[in-house]
Amino acid sequence: MALKILSVDDSRTIRLIVGKAFKPYECEMVEATNGEEGLAAAAREKPDLIILDVTMPVMDGVTMLTMLKADDALKGIPVIMLTAESGRENVLHIAKLGVRDYLVKPFKDDQLIEKASRVIPLQKKPVPA
Amino acid sequence: MTRHLVDVFETMLSMPVTLRPGAPQPNFDSRVTGSVGFAGEKVNGAIYLHMSAPFACTVAAAMLGLKPEEISDDNEVNDVVGEATNMITGGLKSWLCDSGAECAMSTPAIIRGQSFSIQPMPDVARESLVFAYEENFVVVEIHIKLN
Repeated sequence: MALKILSVDDSRTIRLIVGKAFKPYECEMVEATNGEEGLAAAAREKPDLIILDVTMPVMDGVTMLTMLKADDALKGIPVIMLTAESGRENVLHIAKLGVRDYLVKPFKDDQLIEKASRVIPLQKKPVPA
Repeated sequence: MTRHLVDVFETMLSMPVTLRPGAPQPNFDSRVTGSVGFAGEKVNGAIYLHMSAPFACTVAAAMLGLKPEEISDDNEVNDVVGEATNMITGGLKSWLCDSGAECAMSTPAIIRGQSFSIQPMPDVARESLVFAYEENFVVVEIHIKLN
């Protein structure tokens, strides 16, 4: 069964770039545009990995992460934060909340795939004969 | 700021931009401007990223892996310019926070138009940096107030 990856970002651009990065791999992408939608999608879809932005309207990524980790049914889902903010205190604060990894924008596709590969067993799609 | 802008353009767009110290402010016939604010107890301000509308379309296409003619509406361009502004401001915010000036960032906003300027509020310092990629110009404008 294909892995399911939830991309939570208010920027359609970033969701497209994340989706494109995972396109060569056996996985299904699910999207949400803020933390509130992200929590609902996490509960509904039970993704294998969440790629989570920090600064978003409605509910930011830190609040979503805090609520996710407080939910027994969802706290086991690994999260990689994808954010423009790399300040030391910010990184430490988020690390304490239980993220698996942290990727700072701007980023290359292969950096995201490398970090995701450390968390979930990504498999390349077979090349059509 | 120079490093942050260069990083965004090189990493996300494969467009090596160069700083043009002392270059005059470019006159954009039609302009797309991204803006992201930041605010904290010790510092507040905003970053504005200006470019011409045609170049903004080229930038959007590069970030989305498309050809410029495949960009179908302004919303795609706005989102890319907003996200690029967000990344540049995130770099500044990280530096400010590491220097003891904690602050939070706003979500991006876009201004489109011709012949407009952004005026700083009283006591707000303004700095403008002009960058070039081939025959195109990008301007980063920083408005900052230390409290």
